[in-house]
Amino acid sequence: MNFKISKIILYLLLFFLLVPLFVLVIWSFSNSWPWPNMLPKDLGIRAYKHIFSFRTGTLGVLIYSIILSATVTLITIIISIPASKALGVYDFPLKKLFKILVLAPIIVPPVAVAMGIHVSFIKMGLANTFLGVVLVHLIPCIPYGVRIITSVFEGIGEKMEIQAKVLGASSLQTFFHITLPMITPGVISAASMVFIVSFSQYFLTFLIGGGKVKTLSLVMFPYIQSGDRMMASAYSIVFSLTTLMILLIMEKSIKKKYKRETDLFV
Amino acid sequence: MSQIELKNINKSFDGKTILNNISLKVEEGERISLLGPSGCGKTTTLKIIAGLLKNDKGQLLIGDKDVSKVPVEKRGAVIVFQDYLLFPHMTVAENIGFGLKMAKKNKNIIKEKVDELLKLVKLEGLGDRYPDELSGGQKQRVAIARALAVDPKVLLLDEPFSNLDTGLRDEMREFISNLQRKLNITTILVTHDKEEALMISDRIAVMLNGEIKQIDEPSEIYKHPKSIEVANFLGNRNYIKGNIKEGKFETEIGLFNIDNREQKEVIAMINPEDIYLDNSSNEGLEGTITEVRYAGDRIYYKIKIKNKQIRVISNSDKVYRLNEKIFIHMDFNNGVFF
Repeated sequence: MNFKISKIILYLLLFFLLVPLFVLVIWSFSNSWPWPNMLPKDLGIRAYKHIFSFRTGTLGVLIYSIILSATVTLITIIISIPASKALGVYDFPLKKLFKILVLAPIIVPPVAVAMGIHVSFIKMGLANTFLGVVLVHLIPCIPYGVRIITSVFEGIGEKMEIQAKVLGASSLQTFFHITLPMITPGVISAASMVFIVSFSQYFLTFLIGGGKVKTLSLVMFPYIQSGDRMMASAYSIVFSLTTLMILLIMEKSIKKKYKRETDLFV
Repeated sequence: MSQIELKNINKSFDGKTILNNISLKVEEGERISLLGPSGCGKTTTLKIIAGLLKNDKGQLLIGDKDVSKVPVEKRGAVIVFQDYLLFPHMTVAENIGFGLKMAKKNKNIIKEKVDELLKLVKLEGLGDRYPDELSGGQKQRVAIARALAVDPKVLLLDEPFSNLDTGLRDEMREFISNLQRKLNITTILVTHDKEEALMISDRIAVMLNGEIKQIDEPSEIYKHPKSIEVANFLGNRNYIKGNIKEGKFETEIGLFNIDNREQKEVIAMINPEDIYLDNSSNEGLEGTITEVRYAGDRIYYKIKIKNKQIRVISNSDKVYRLNEKIFIHMDFNNGVFF
């Protein structure tokens, strides 16, 4: 009985998530779709032509965005692993406070801090640069990375590492042969989350990048705002497919390396 | 393989003393058990030997060398934990070869050694399996093989049998005993199970409240415990208060003959299996049976004699009934006096 109900809920959820996407697909091919028509009046591929032609430079923006978000993801993960280990495994004074403080950047709206950061970045020459945008993206990204990887460390603890050391492994060997493979599934989910957070960042990119650092969300926003639904929908779809592809590639490539999943993480 | 010596080891956490002057010498090839209830400090002792914890005071010698400052990975004391801790992302062969791989040994040498160990622990052909495809006993054998692979000077076993079910436990006890004999490796085993300690140790160190109370051979520790605490931990015994006077032992349940001894007030310990029951003649002390528990090869009785409960274990075929009148015989010349 319970099983049935949860199944129905699952299907409803999928339905409500997928139908808007489906509508987006239709919109991205329709030049006009006035009320009360059930189907679009006039189909066309103007939007995709625009995105995929070299003249408009949208493809370049897409690749630039991917590189930027990938950089952010990499830095976030490198920072998050040691921080998460400390929060997940070790005991130290004020640990609970630190756990909450890590989340502070998502609790406090970025608008509140970004202004101050902007001023400092201008002074340091980081405003309107790739590096500046990467740094500012770390603010909303690190909480997700740390939070997810911390729970992984809480699950596996320190025991396996101790066992490896007892068997004669140095700290470095222990990290690469034991810790990293064991937290990999958790790191993948953290990286996926972080990539999406960075990839869809609009406000921070706009403020710190000053329009010089052009990401996909930055290029996409005017279309949504101006009501060019065809373009906006096409951009949205390219946007979603990109993140989906990146996630798939990430998962596939890492899984090949550590061919076996453990049932420690679900 | 070498001897180990602990000299006056002390350890405290947050001002609370966990180990108080632990001294212990384990000979080369010897198998010794640290026996005690949970929280007595036995696992802490093991961790100090392995180097996972630092002792506050005292010396720790492996061979003739003080290893207090040698880091875990170079100490050569390998600990096998209670829950085996096999690396889930590695096959059985990779698990066993882990220590050798970390020591950067040649691949062929590793393979040879792994094959040899798989044979030793009777897991031939299972090298390609993953830990989650193994049974409890197999996991433990992998854990032991993995520890043996690095040729440890000392093998430390932390409650090695407590995660196994009864049948398997006996099998693994026998297996590890035989293996240890064969390899003649110095072994320290931690357990809270007195039967286990009695069965598989050369010597037992009984630990209570962070102190080693007695170190002796199993039979000696069982028959001649030095204190009531130790006696109590090794079994449910009978303790009878009384006075020794001119060849007689005056107690709350009656008068017994005894060899000439110093006159004093004592507590006598007598094992339940050293008391005999009889209802064929009227000799001995009269009592009433208040509890009978039948366990197949033996029968547990509780017998009331003048307000005192006495435990008796009988191996005889005869089963007495509840509330039956019975005569008991006990000889305090075999008893232990505290």
